[in-house]
Amino acid sequence: MKLLIVEDEIQLSKSMANYLQRQGYTCDIAYDYKEGIDKIDSFDYDCILLDITLPGGSGLQLLKNLKAENKLDGVIIISAKDAIDEKIEGLNLGADDYMPKPFHLSELNARVAAVIRRKQFRGSNVLALNELTIDLLAKTVSVNNKLVDISKKEYDLLLYLVSSKNRVISKNAIAENISGDSIDLYDNFDFIYAHIKNLKRKLTAAGCEDYIKSVYGMGYKFTI
Amino acid sequence: MKLLQKTIRNYFIYSVFILLVAIPLFYFSIQRIVREDVDGDLLATKEMLRPKISSALLNNTIDQLHFVDQNILISVSTYTKEFDSLTTVEIYDSVAQEVVPHRVLTSNFTVNGKPCFLQVKTSLVDNDELIKSIATVEVILLLLLLAGLFLINRNLAKRIWKPFYTTLGKLRKYKVEKHEPLALSKSSVSEFNDLNTSLEELTVRTHNTYLSQKEFTENASHEMQSPLAVFQSKLELLMQTAPLNEEQAQLIGDLADASQRMTRLNKSLLLLTKIDNNQFADTEKISVDKVLEAFLQQYQPQINEKQIMVSKKFESEIILNVNKALIEILMSNLLGNAIRHNYFDGRIDLLIKENTLIIQNTGKAVALDGQKIFQRFQKDSTDNNSTGLGLEIVKKICAIYNLKISYQFSENLHCFTVQFNNL
Repeated sequence: MKLLIVEDEIQLSKSMANYLQRQGYTCDIAYDYKEGIDKIDSFDYDCILLDITLPGGSGLQLLKNLKAENKLDGVIIISAKDAIDEKIEGLNLGADDYMPKPFHLSELNARVAAVIRRKQFRGSNVLALNELTIDLLAKTVSVNNKLVDISKKEYDLLLYLVSSKNRVISKNAIAENISGDSIDLYDNFDFIYAHIKNLKRKLTAAGCEDYIKSVYGMGYKFTI
Repeated sequence: MKLLQKTIRNYFIYSVFILLVAIPLFYFSIQRIVREDVDGDLLATKEMLRPKISSALLNNTIDQLHFVDQNILISVSTYTKEFDSLTTVEIYDSVAQEVVPHRVLTSNFTVNGKPCFLQVKTSLVDNDELIKSIATVEVILLLLLLAGLFLINRNLAKRIWKPFYTTLGKLRKYKVEKHEPLALSKSSVSEFNDLNTSLEELTVRTHNTYLSQKEFTENASHEMQSPLAVFQSKLELLMQTAPLNEEQAQLIGDLADASQRMTRLNKSLLLLTKIDNNQFADTEKISVDKVLEAFLQQYQPQINEKQIMVSKKFESEIILNVNKALIEILMSNLLGNAIRHNYFDGRIDLLIKENTLIIQNTGKAVALDGQKIFQRFQKDSTDNNSTGLGLEIVKKICAIYNLKISYQFSENLHCFTVQFNNL
């Protein structure tokens, strides 16, 4: 699986590459517009992480070129602007997703995985992890081929944890993933604890090993 | 008190004072002058009669000395002491058939060694009437003068101060965030021209300061994004390192919380500058209750978690022609506050009546400072999760659409009222 990161902030692109490489992706980095164009022309990528404000040109122009060449690479725009019209323009130009900076690497990873899944119709839309099976199309979870009755929130949470399996996902990242824009309404992160507890209870009750571990109150980790 | 009233009032008080003093003073001095004149006449008559009396006494014809004038009375006196006395006496006038004041000279003197008594009187009626007429004319003149002064002054002042009031009106409408020059008109008074020039310079300077301040906030929060993104990503990578002991994990967790807060603060600041920059210009028709309903649904998990009882009473429909994103931010901030600052098992009342939206909720049993809550960073110091910018954003949005927002606290309910009258 090959990714291209087009981002002029060197440290940020390094962090992204570091995290994604450990997830098993091969990562190329382009630090400016020209480098980005060269790389896109020369290789095919499964997913391109594209910053909009780049030295030497706009990421949106890069996206236009890509689409003009009928390339099928998935594109996630990462932008510091967080402007609605820019988001709409990007998505209209054919981007698959839009993430405002700053973002959580675990969130980025989950979105990359989702884009790649959508792009590649391999027939297999099922994630199998030992006794645990997640059907991505039907959005169901089963343990030892028996369906587990879990809520949509819990399904999303499980998928998020699984997408960055064996990595610590911070409480903040989980909170943002679960609550989206309404994160401001919480006084604290107790609600995450409640959701995780319910999810763990349902999975273990169905005979699943307890894969979800708390890491010193810093975050959670799906260990497998 | 208005400027015009103040200047005119002083003139008026002075004029009335002068009038009140001048009229009696004038009256009495004229009266005195006339009295003196009459007295002089009476004494002159006495001096004129003296030789006649003297010759009449010599000839022993004093009893034959008769005058046509009834006002002169002469007789031989037994009293030898000489004196002159002038008095005012009320005497019945048979001609006018009324009692009229008379000035009477009573005189006792000796002529050729013989005492003689003389009384000369003259009616004051004509003189008094003269004085009265003069006084009346004078009063009328003074009053006319006063009224004229008053009117001229008022009109003159009005005309002179007109440019001042025009300037004041324009200044009142001036908004620093909108770049509209004051365009003050030229005046014939140089002080006003100076004032206008200074004001124009001042507003230009203020506007420039405002612009650079806005630009700074914008740039600062924009430039902050990248280091924040780097910081957050490195923290996440740090979380993945092993081995990690509990103390380190705790520190990293705290750092992550802080970075999260910075991110949100930054987002709010960016939003504020975007609102300032008028980046939410396009409008569409939006129903307030539909927006509220949508957010109620979105916030349902949080409402359920706190077991807050929400009651809705939408008596009318408010349709606004506004920017959708802005009105959503406005509603979500107000509703979000009502949820976040609520307690377990609390309640929220949503009421739409005519053109007014009322959101009230239970919460802390103390009223907030209605003056301060809409200012930046006026927040509950214990609440780390709030940026302290929410109500500032609310106020900004209300200002854009001329909505009136107010806060009351009664019966342990925090109540925010938004009036959409001006749309």
